Amino acid sequence: MKGKSRGKVILPCNGLDKEAGTLAREMALKLAEEGAELVCPVLFQRNPARYKKELGTGELLVIDGCKTGCASKLAKDKGLKIAGRLNVTEMLKEMGIRGGKKPVPDPEHLSRLLAALGGPGEEEAEGAEEVPSGLFTAHVEMNEFMEGKFFFKVPKAGYFFNENDCWARVEGTRARLGVSDYVQQSASDMVFFEPPEIGKELEQFDDAGSLESTKTALDIISPVSGKVVAVNGELVDAPELINQDPYISAWAVEVEMADFEGDRELLMDCEAYLAYLKEKVRKENQERFG
Amino acid sequence: MGVPREKIDWCPTIDYGKCDFCMECDNFCPHRVFERREGEEKKLVVAHPENCVVFCRACAKTCGPDALSFPDKKETTAAIKRMREEAGGDEG
Ligand code: SF4
Ligand code: SF4
Repeated sequence: MKGKSRGKVILPCNGLDKEAGTLAREMALKLAEEGAELVCPVLFQRNPARYKKELGTGELLVIDGCKTGCASKLAKDKGLKIAGRLNVTEMLKEMGIRGGKKPVPDPEHLSRLLAALGGPGEEEAEGAEEVPSGLFTAHVEMNEFMEGKFFFKVPKAGYFFNENDCWARVEGTRARLGVSDYVQQSASDMVFFEPPEIGKELEQFDDAGSLESTKTALDIISPVSGKVVAVNGELVDAPELINQDPYISAWAVEVEMADFEGDRELLMDCEAYLAYLKEKVRKENQERFG
Repeated sequence: MGVPREKIDWCPTIDYGKCDFCMECDNFCPHRVFERREGEEKKLVVAHPENCVVFCRACAKTCGPDALSFPDKKETTAAIKRMREEAGGDEG
């Protein structure tokens, strides 16, 4: 299928450290054959303007070789918007393969990776995307507080928090999950949201998707247990919503809860979180500014 | 969590068979959980487990060689609930 990767821009790992890297590079070359534009990480590092046109028009797919995630880091450093991402080591792991230490691609590994790319995997979520419920429409009032030069908001009611600064907004047996204003401010500009699979069963404190900002990477740690019934497609397209409106439109995941009464024991309500956050920010300021 | 932090068993464990002391995890974590030990064989140790945020696993993602592991989350959750019940006494 020539041309099926047209409109995609690929930023692969440089691929000279170990096998996974060389595989990332080979995959990128393969996708280029199918019409994708390639971004050379080394040249891009030196001269980002060289790729201005490609990056301005296409969807960016980043291919990392290993967990070090150099390609992702590079994309973040340069403030690029990442539309999709692959990690060769993780893909191999799922296939029960351990990548080699030498920077030589095993052709068998490569063909399996490419098969995984062409197969369902990539876009499958589309059809499965259930419609989020219309339950979460009530107006949310906010408490605000200043600590040093920082200004924070916390909802007044209806939200439950864990100590990982993630919230669950609860309506009946449904909850929407997201991250607090504190996360948004300390992580700075969000550039990537990777949602969990719809249908995934979450235990309390499981990962419910991951986020990346220009400064850091973090998981959304689910305050509640239950099943993922919807993900926020808008947030996938515009992770910066978290910076603009962390508590309402930037919900990440909707969950049909399994045991809210049980989960609740280990959560803070709005009032408790407000107190917790004030104390946390006060301590941080103290450490930072003495 | 209603339980003193030091009673909760949650922090990363470094597998020294895998760790290459790249220090990515320490660079990443803002909570001073790790400590560097210049000139020692174990150049990085988990010096302050109590500073680790319960249920956070973020540093593991930065570790290339997959050298960081965490306790079982379910067990930790159950243990916290148990301690809370014991502390709360029997309420009927
Ligand atoms: S789990 Fe989180 S808080 Fe604990 S050491 Fe790792 S990054 Fe730091
Ligand atoms: S990131 Fe992993 S390999 Fe690097 S110092 Fe930490 S534990 Fe060791």
